[in-house]
Amino acid sequence: MNQAVMLLYYATTAFFAAMMAWNFARAKDAQKALLYLVVLMPFVMRLLRLK
Amino acid sequence: MLNHALLVLGVMVVVFAVASRLKVSVELSMLLAAIAGGLAHGSGFSARHVVDGAFTYFDVTLIFLSATFFMNIVKESGGVDYIVGGIVKRFHANRFLCLLFLTFILLIPGALTGSGSVTVLVVGALAAKVLSEMGIPKEKVTAIIFLCAAMSAAAPPVNLWAMMAAAGSNMPYVGFIGPLGALSVLGALFSMFWLGWKGSPIDAAKVAASIKVDARMRGWRVGLPFAVLIALIALSRIFPHDFPILGLPLCFMLAAATAAAVSATKVPLLRIARDTVDSLLPLVGMMIVVGILVQAMSLSGVRGLISLSVVTLPLAVIIGALFVILPLSEGLVQYASAPLLGVPLILLFNMKGIDPVVALSAMAVMWPLGDILPPTLVVGRAAVMVTGYDGSYYKGFVKATLVPALFILALSTLVVIFSGQLTFLKALG
Amino acid sequence: MKKSEQGKTLIAAKAAGLVAWAAVMVFAGVAFRQHRAWKEPVVLGPGVTAVRSLHEWFAPLKGTENDCNVYVLDSGLPGSTILVLGGTHPEEPATNLAAELLVENAKPTSGKLLVAIHTNRSASTVTRPGEAYPQFYSIKTAWGQKKYRMGDRSANPLDSWPDPETYVHYPSGQMLAYMDIRNINRTWPGRPNGLLCERTSYGFMQMIRKEKVDLVIDYHEAELEYPVIGTIVAHQKAQEVAAMVSMDLSASQFRIGMEVSPRTLHGLTHREIGDFSDATALLFESPEPFLDRVRGATNEALLLTGVDEFVQRAGKAGLLYWPIDEKGWPIEVRVGRHIATTSKVFEVWNLLYPEKPIAVDGLPGYGDLAAKGVGAYFADPASVAKDRVAFE
Repeated sequence: MNQAVMLLYYATTAFFAAMMAWNFARAKDAQKALLYLVVLMPFVMRLLRLK
Repeated sequence: MLNHALLVLGVMVVVFAVASRLKVSVELSMLLAAIAGGLAHGSGFSARHVVDGAFTYFDVTLIFLSATFFMNIVKESGGVDYIVGGIVKRFHANRFLCLLFLTFILLIPGALTGSGSVTVLVVGALAAKVLSEMGIPKEKVTAIIFLCAAMSAAAPPVNLWAMMAAAGSNMPYVGFIGPLGALSVLGALFSMFWLGWKGSPIDAAKVAASIKVDARMRGWRVGLPFAVLIALIALSRIFPHDFPILGLPLCFMLAAATAAAVSATKVPLLRIARDTVDSLLPLVGMMIVVGILVQAMSLSGVRGLISLSVVTLPLAVIIGALFVILPLSEGLVQYASAPLLGVPLILLFNMKGIDPVVALSAMAVMWPLGDILPPTLVVGRAAVMVTGYDGSYYKGFVKATLVPALFILALSTLVVIFSGQLTFLKALG
Repeated sequence: MKKSEQGKTLIAAKAAGLVAWAAVMVFAGVAFRQHRAWKEPVVLGPGVTAVRSLHEWFAPLKGTENDCNVYVLDSGLPGSTILVLGGTHPEEPATNLAAELLVENAKPTSGKLLVAIHTNRSASTVTRPGEAYPQFYSIKTAWGQKKYRMGDRSANPLDSWPDPETYVHYPSGQMLAYMDIRNINRTWPGRPNGLLCERTSYGFMQMIRKEKVDLVIDYHEAELEYPVIGTIVAHQKAQEVAAMVSMDLSASQFRIGMEVSPRTLHGLTHREIGDFSDATALLFESPEPFLDRVRGATNEALLLTGVDEFVQRAGKAGLLYWPIDEKGWPIEVRVGRHIATTSKVFEVWNLLYPEKPIAVDGLPGYGDLAAKGVGAYFADPASVAKDRVAFE
């Protein structure tokens, strides 16, 4: 069960990371785009199981 | 060491000021300040520190995102309209009950997410509409929205300032529900009634016409997602060793799935998710950047310098100045003020025999009031945006918040002073 | 600026941002990977008779990050069995170093020693975000630098995720902070189907019961702003041992306090091991200025020397529970306190329980350790047969 819950957390992280990546691509404002990249750092690092 | 930390702090302040001046956003200015400070520190600063710092409040950002996603689905499915419409329909003749229910509606989103901005974005516009119909001037309506949003951020179960300061001082986030609940509810009610009691009777028909409630909407469709959320949290507390450990983000995601499933209309999940992420970017960005800043400050000794400067002040001066220091620091560095000032203060209070849980709760109610102050103005700006207030920010809106804000600050200061006598509040968990 | 130009600028900004982002991610990712994968060699000393794994006492731990090594130092003669836990909190390096020093040097002549160097191994594979800990530290030896992972207080979220909304301790029902479910000194006595640290403590409890452990010693370090410091915390069953050790050491070598484990504070070794097994438990705390919130720059030097101007200032302002001067609290002194306290516990134990003796040769004295340094007691892994080297 714990494993299943952990998998759901990776899925949730991936879901929000995907939305951020989408918004980054569509961002019309450079500062906003850069902030998306900053926010994406921990999400991607966790998905890659590096941190 | 002292000179070195002062130098790094100086670099951080100058870079932040220059970047802000050049119209760089607060979040990116803070990031630049953190990186410049790290580089000024010299040896040891690396990409690893940037990413490590970005993880400091990662769990909290997941709570933020999932909770707001849930609230936005409820809003999109017509749930919020249904609740506000219901309040007006049922209680329009009774100003007291109407204000009372509006207060609680305004408290819920922030209490669940820890963010005043979420309150403003999710229910601010609707509450403002009803309040305006009650004959309350625009600057007072905006003040009510801001103050209730600030109190909602302070309200339990999720108070980010208390959570961050408690985590930093190795103190369990337990015992906060009572003191946070009492102060935030009192603060919100005082603000609502002080500013909203005088006005004109509500024209129910006019308000009802302006709120479009879907004919297929029913009470259970709004109630079930909240019931699922409450049940999941309650079950994990009542049967902690038989019920799987879900954590708050998954509880919110399951409640969000329920809200989408029982909605009368088809809910565009992807669009809501993208909008959620978009509207939360300044807040989530702030949390991530604050983590990086804290990492750079810890690395260089700036955090120690700030902590040491605070805890070596006389205790009476510290307590007497909390009502100024906390909101100002919130306006300046947002949530970063909790680990920077909150942690050393809590350790000091504990040593001096002041109850750390009650005192931190009181401090965590004072912090969000700073969200109206420059340079960040986060929640204040959002409140002005959703109410459409176009008068003077300081002379109209901020001035209108003064009496309730001072009441909340005075009450919280008293709670810090008499924390020893108020420990019974911790019994709620 | 024309619209097309604006578009080009935006694309350029995004591209530049992406390149910088990728560079940061690659550098950081490599650093995280290297840290998590780093293996610390341990030379098996003359007393080590076997190296076992924790899963041998609780099979579900097999393959998890917390399936740590358990070093067996069996004299082959009757006596007490004593378990020593290092690395309960891997951000307290004197604890795993002291445990490793036992493994490399101790030679029991009666009774048996069991030693875990990284009790919460998962926590040794991550550093705490926001604290800017160095990822590694090195101990100087006669044959070169010996490199160690610096860790956190709590298990790595890669091994235990998510945390609960509130952590409810089993079986007391006491509510604790959510992240404490990854802090193994809050999860005793553990439960078989809990999260990683709950299962790890459960595994240790199984070992304690099956191996008929008489005494558990849990090494710790604490910030000087924290009231429980420079002391032995004892389960009430070990109260007499702790009191005698504290009096003797304070009179002869260094000041060390003694306090009885609070009965209402749950999840800790000194409470739960004593309550849920026949063993009793002691916890040692040495001072680690590196953990203080008022500390100055965070680096390896502070970790190993314990010299910090800001912490000293806090001391002068009366804000600390333990003294500090310009000499700081060097690692050899902190490890020395643990080793000397352990030796004294054995001595007192033999006085009180002569029918179940524990006698251990090969341990350095406090003065020797402080003078020569910890590294003087670590052998070169390259100089011994491969089967005499284990990895942490």
